[in-house]
Amino acid sequence: MSLKLLQLYPAELGINGDGGNTLVLAKRAEWYGLRAERLAHEVGAELPADVDVVLVGTGPVSAQRAVHADLLRIAGALRDLAAAGVPFLAVSGGMQLLGGSVRLPDGEQLEGAGVLPVTTVLGDKRIVGDIIVESQLGTLVGYENHSDTLELTGGVPLGTVKHGRGNDDTGTAEGVRSGHLFGTHLQGPVLAQNPVLADRILELALRRVGDDLPESIDDALSVNDERAARARRVIREKHRV
Amino acid sequence: MPVLPAVLLGRAVRLAARVRGGGASAMPGYLALRVEPRFLEKTISRIPLGVVAVSGSNGKSTTTNMLTAIFREHGLKVFTNPSGANLPQGIASAVLSEVSLNGALDADIAILEIDEAYGVKLSGLLKPRTVLLLNIQIDQLNRFYEPDRVAGMLHTIASSASEAVVLNRDDDYLAALGRELYGGTDASISWFGARPELIAAAPHGIASATRFSAGERSAPPEASVTVTALDGPRADLAIGDDTASVTLPSRGLHYAIDAAAAAETARVVLGDRFRPELVTRALASMKTVYGRGELLKTGDGDDVEIIMMKNPASMQMNLDSLEETPEQVFLAIDEGTPDPSWIYDTDFSVLDHADVVSGSKGWQLAVRLGYSDIPVGTVEPDLRKAVQRFLALPRTKSGRKTMIVNYEQMMLIRRLLGYSDLEGRDGE
Repeated sequence: MSLKLLQLYPAELGINGDGGNTLVLAKRAEWYGLRAERLAHEVGAELPADVDVVLVGTGPVSAQRAVHADLLRIAGALRDLAAAGVPFLAVSGGMQLLGGSVRLPDGEQLEGAGVLPVTTVLGDKRIVGDIIVESQLGTLVGYENHSDTLELTGGVPLGTVKHGRGNDDTGTAEGVRSGHLFGTHLQGPVLAQNPVLADRILELALRRVGDDLPESIDDALSVNDERAARARRVIREKHRV
Repeated sequence: MPVLPAVLLGRAVRLAARVRGGGASAMPGYLALRVEPRFLEKTISRIPLGVVAVSGSNGKSTTTNMLTAIFREHGLKVFTNPSGANLPQGIASAVLSEVSLNGALDADIAILEIDEAYGVKLSGLLKPRTVLLLNIQIDQLNRFYEPDRVAGMLHTIASSASEAVVLNRDDDYLAALGRELYGGTDASISWFGARPELIAAAPHGIASATRFSAGERSAPPEASVTVTALDGPRADLAIGDDTASVTLPSRGLHYAIDAAAAAETARVVLGDRFRPELVTRALASMKTVYGRGELLKTGDGDDVEIIMMKNPASMQMNLDSLEETPEQVFLAIDEGTPDPSWIYDTDFSVLDHADVVSGSKGWQLAVRLGYSDIPVGTVEPDLRKAVQRFLALPRTKSGRKTMIVNYEQMMLIRRLLGYSDLEGRDGE
C-alpha cells in the first residue's frame, strides 16, 4: 500500500517549515520499506476522500482568515476522516482552527472545524521560545511561537510542560491528544525533532488498515534518530531539563 | 545639552576597545546614547541632504552599500552605518567614529540601514527625507512573529519620510503598502522592480511573503527603474530612457533588484544631478559585504565562500545563485537562530553532501539534511574544531570551499580565519 499523507493549506498554514512534518513522515515510511504519497489540500479544491494521515501547520491570523471559509466547507469531511480513525497532527494555528472555536484579539469569534476537542482565545501576549514536554511517548522538544490560551473540552494534554508555557499561563499542560488526534504548539518541526511521535502517527495509520509498523530497512533511520536525540539533548541541557 | 560629553565618553570607550584588540562594538554608541539620549538627532539631523533610511527583510546591507557607492560616485560625502549595525547603539557607534567634538559630521547625506523593529523609533528620531523599502519576507519569526506585523512597522517607517518613499513593486506587501500610502503622505512614491519574465525564470521567484489579508488587488504599479536583463553577475537596469549595465556583488536576481532599488533611490534624491552611467561605475568598483558573495582568503589554501543562512528567502536565493554543486560544504548554525524550523522550507537540492556540520544547532541541521538524503560527513558542534577539520580537507578543483552559516557563526569564522570583524563600507 501507499500511505497518503494529506497536508491542509500548505501555502497559508505552513509559515514555519510545517511541510517538514509531512516530509518526515514520507521519508520515514520509505525507510520502513513503505510507500508514501504527499498530498496537499488547497482552498477551493476537492478534499481527497482516501487518506491515511492529515497534517496541518501554522500561520498568522490573516492566513487563518484566508482559509476559514474553505475549512468550514470541508469540516464535515474532516470530522468523518477523524471518526474513521485517520490520525491527525495539527500545529499551533492549524490546531486552533481544527478546534471548536477561535476568539480573535478583536473579539471576533471564528468557528472551528470541530475535529479537535479544544477552544482557543488569542491574546496580545506572544509566547516565544524553546518548549520541553514530558509525554507518554517520552520527552518532546520543540519551539513555541503563539499567543493563544487553549482550553481542552475533551481528550487529554499531549504532555506536561517542563520548560516553556504551552496551553495557558499556568505553564502545566501542552497540546491535546484525543485517541489518534494530536494537536501541539511544538514547532521545529515537531516530527523532525521527535521521531517517536512520527512513528506513533505512522503506526496509528497502519493499524487502521490492519498493518503494523515494520522494521526499518535503511540505516539512515537510526542515524537520523541519533542526530535528533543529540539535538534534543542540546536543548534540554540548555534549560537543565 | 551639548553633545561634547557623549562624544568624549564614546570616543574614549571606542579607543580603549581598540587598544585591547577588540572588534567593532556597539558599546561606545550605547554609552553615548545613555549620556545624551538625543545623540543621533543632534549629530545626524545636521547633515545637509538629510537621511535616506533603508529597511526591509533582506538586502539592507547590500543595498545601503550600493547606494553609498552611487552617491560617492556623484561626488557626495556620505555618512553610513557599517553593515548589520542597524540598531540605535550601532548607528551611534558609527557616528562616534566620524563626528567632530562639536557634533558635526562631515557629510552631505546620511544613508542608514535600519532594523524593521527599531526603525519605528529611529525614523521618528531621524526624520528621514527618503525611505527605501526592499521587501517583506518570512524572517526571524521568533522576533517578528508574522509578516503582517512587519508590514505595520514598515508602514510607520514609510510614513515618516518627508520627501520620497521608494518601494519594490513586485513585493506583495509593499505594493499594498504603497496603495495605502497614496494620499496619506506628502512624500512622493516611486517604484523599482524586475521584468516579470526574470522573476518567473528564477527558481524560487523573489521569495517575498504572500499577503493573505483581503483587500484591493490591482495591477503592479509602474516602476521607474526595472531590471531588464540578468546574466550571471551582470544586469541591465532600465532607468527612464537610459540603460545602465551593472556588475553585481554576486550572481542572483535579488542582487539585481537591490541594484534597481539603489538606482531608483539615487535618482529620486539627486534629481537633475543623477547620471545613470555613474551607477555603472559605482557598482563596478564596489567591495562585497560580509557573507553576501564575499570570498575569504585562507593563506595558500582554497578561498572560502560564505553563504549566509539568515532566513528562508535569502538562504534560498543564495543557494539558487550557486553556479554548480559545491565541492566541499560546511554548514553551521547556533543560538543566533533560536528557531531553525524554517530550514524545512529550504530546498537544499543544490548540495550533494555536507562535509562538516557545526554550531550548537548543528545536530538539527544534520537531521534536516538526512531527511533530504544529503549525506553528512561529520557533525562537530565545536566551531573551532569543525573549521579546522574543514580547512584540512584537500584542495578543491575550483579553489573554493563553501560555508553556509548564520550571521553569528560567520562573524566567529571570520575571526578564526584572521579577518577583522570591523565592517566598513566601500571606499573607507
